Amino acid sequence: MYQATPLIKTDPLIKKDTFFEKLTAILIRILVLIFGFMAFFPQVNPGRIMEKINVNTSLFTTALSYETLTGNFGLIMRRGWLTSGNIYFLMACAAVILLGIALCAVGACMSLGNRRMQRLACAFPLSGSALTLLSAFGISYLFKTLSESKNAKALELIFPNALYIFIAFSAVILILSIIRLIQLRGPVEAQMEMEEKYRLFLMLLPVLLLAFVFSYLPIYGWRYAFFDYDVGDKLSRENFVAFKWFTFLFEGSAYRRDILRVLKNTLIMSGLGIATSWLPVAFAILLAEIRSSRFQRFVQTFTTIPNFISWVLVYSFALAIFSTDGFINSFLRNVLHISGANTDYLASADFTWIKMLFWGTWKGLGWSAIIYIAGISGIDQQLYEAARVDGANRFHCMWHITVPGLMGTYCVMLLMSIAGILSNGMEQYLVFSNPINKDVIEVLDLYVYNLGIKQGLVPISTVVGIFKSLVGITLLFSANGISKLVRGESII
Amino acid sequence: MKAHAKKYSSEKRSVGDRIFDVTLIVFFTLFTLLCIFPFYYLFINTISANDLVSSGLINFYPRGIHLGNYIALKDVSDLGSSAIVTVLRTIIGTALMVVVSAWAGYLVTKRNMWKRSLWYRSLVIIMYFNAGLIPWYMNMLMLGLTNNFFAYIIPGMVAPYNIILVKTYIESIPSSLEESAIIDGANTPTVFLKIIWPLSTPILATIAIFGAVGNWNSFQDSLLLMSNAPKMYTLQHRLYIYLNSSSNLSAVMSGSSGASTQALSSLLNTKVIKYTVSMVTIIPILMVYPFMQRFFVKGIMLGAVKG
Repeated sequence: MYQATPLIKTDPLIKKDTFFEKLTAILIRILVLIFGFMAFFPQVNPGRIMEKINVNTSLFTTALSYETLTGNFGLIMRRGWLTSGNIYFLMACAAVILLGIALCAVGACMSLGNRRMQRLACAFPLSGSALTLLSAFGISYLFKTLSESKNAKALELIFPNALYIFIAFSAVILILSIIRLIQLRGPVEAQMEMEEKYRLFLMLLPVLLLAFVFSYLPIYGWRYAFFDYDVGDKLSRENFVAFKWFTFLFEGSAYRRDILRVLKNTLIMSGLGIATSWLPVAFAILLAEIRSSRFQRFVQTFTTIPNFISWVLVYSFALAIFSTDGFINSFLRNVLHISGANTDYLASADFTWIKMLFWGTWKGLGWSAIIYIAGISGIDQQLYEAARVDGANRFHCMWHITVPGLMGTYCVMLLMSIAGILSNGMEQYLVFSNPINKDVIEVLDLYVYNLGIKQGLVPISTVVGIFKSLVGITLLFSANGISKLVRGESII
Repeated sequence: MKAHAKKYSSEKRSVGDRIFDVTLIVFFTLFTLLCIFPFYYLFINTISANDLVSSGLINFYPRGIHLGNYIALKDVSDLGSSAIVTVLRTIIGTALMVVVSAWAGYLVTKRNMWKRSLWYRSLVIIMYFNAGLIPWYMNMLMLGLTNNFFAYIIPGMVAPYNIILVKTYIESIPSSLEESAIIDGANTPTVFLKIIWPLSTPILATIAIFGAVGNWNSFQDSLLLMSNAPKMYTLQHRLYIYLNSSSNLSAVMSGSSGASTQALSSLLNTKVIKYTVSMVTIIPILMVYPFMQRFFVKGIMLGAVKG
């Protein structure tokens, strides 16, 4: 690989780091990383000096959102026990801590450079931790003033223990930075440089952090499964219940019946989807048999449109066609003059699974066929010509050339849909569900939504979610293993 | 495709063949009609005379054409704010997603990055693993990304499918182009801006257009995260509420003065409002649809990509 960095002449006078010196540098980086994450965890919010502040407020939110902070303050603000000046002071302190953390982070990034750069890098955590310490004292000062005011009792002040953690963290970072600065004495390079590999990594780092925060951090939410948690509660040792919810689900509770019903719906609807997964293949093969390419394009264009509208719109269509005053009923009434026609086809539980399959097919068939249409145009035409010479008719060609040619793609699609058997999404079923068909339409994803968001039963729905994730990942790896075994190719 | 279609043209066809052809054409015509009929039905009902619509007389062709329903939408409560929010999230969200995907997709092709394969794999895993709806929701709650506009933008910025798609595309660009730029002294951001970005516009256009459609159609995040901020509902969420609202017109109409409300209620009925709002939500999709078609094959890889 070509190295973009100019050749660095290593000066024999410039020291190399010893093991312990390296360790110091790594320790600072790790501490700063944890420090950074602490800003987003409500559990360690040094700014939560009052019981009234929402438990879900992190330091980050404290610094930025006045509304969230004062959401529950109603009375104490109106009576003037707490002025908005106090709150702005708190927010300013939190903001300065954030700034301090940001400075530490910059320093940690720069510490990947050469010794000259590292020397400059030390200044950032030094100043950053100093700022953090300063505003930590600011917060404790505010706490002290408030607790000495005459309405202290009504304010429900609690000293944020997280403040100690923050003070400890910044003190350690401060000391380590000084140590590091001492370690970096002596001659250094003429210019600040950083190795290419670290520069590339730092450029990707923001993306990785975003991915971590939105895709891996939710795993931390699995902890709710082990607590007796109600919305707004705090997780503590008192409401820790270990595996209670796990056993509760599987030991003949009312939930067990629900889960079995929901699993049945899920498996049947996914099963119907898998059983009809050959439809797009057939669609593509038959469409390719039509000689007019203009007609082909016409069909392809208009059968793909439904894929690009949302399920809410599909539901709107369903209402327009099948509801009491929809197309079917008004057609029966006004064109065929059947007077009693006012059935609401959507408000019945009959054939719900088939109906859902119908809408899924209506929306997705044309779109799923595209990959096979592309596949057909990739099959070698000489195969067909050779077959014709040997006397094959078009059905022979379809069956012995086109179908085998598409088999590989089809297998991948099939395995993927088997791996996703438990996740059929919730949008379709949510929009089509109503009190009448509720029992047969509720799939696992929708059940989790109803349980967790609508009824607020966070622990149980988390348990269900954990099982779904684990089964899903197991199925995926099994499907991948099967694919490797049979086709010698992995699908993920 | 064309070559394939022509493969029998030089030969004589039997009667059986002809019957088969006719059956196919009939079948595909019917299926195509089935696909477009709901669009057409909704449309003719929004432009026809409203009294005919409410008595269910508009079934196959419009009668008494007028555009009053579309004009009257300005009085439908909260529709404006939803439209603005949806347009903004579509533009900003898509733009950021494309930039991040392009940047990350380029960087993960750099084999000399520190621990590259670890980072790349951790991005790929996101596609197949999620912690579940409730942990995700609690996480968003913890991050303060509820009831504000950022919840629409920030989580969507990193889209692993798109990153991999861009990466695969960039790997097909001859590396000599990049290397010669590096020899001329260009650094990574310059190479990205001057070489990679312009050369990968086809794939960036693909992910942009599919991302935009996804943003426009977004419903779930609005439903889950915006429970206390009705001003932030997306269009689809708003439409969902209208569709489920009772037949009471006042529930949908904003409290304008009595006379004009009366005038409107003679013009509009709930059914027509639902149809018209649906049409307004569809029209932008139909407008970009012709441009999308050339990206279809690349787009379907969004669903079946290989890591």
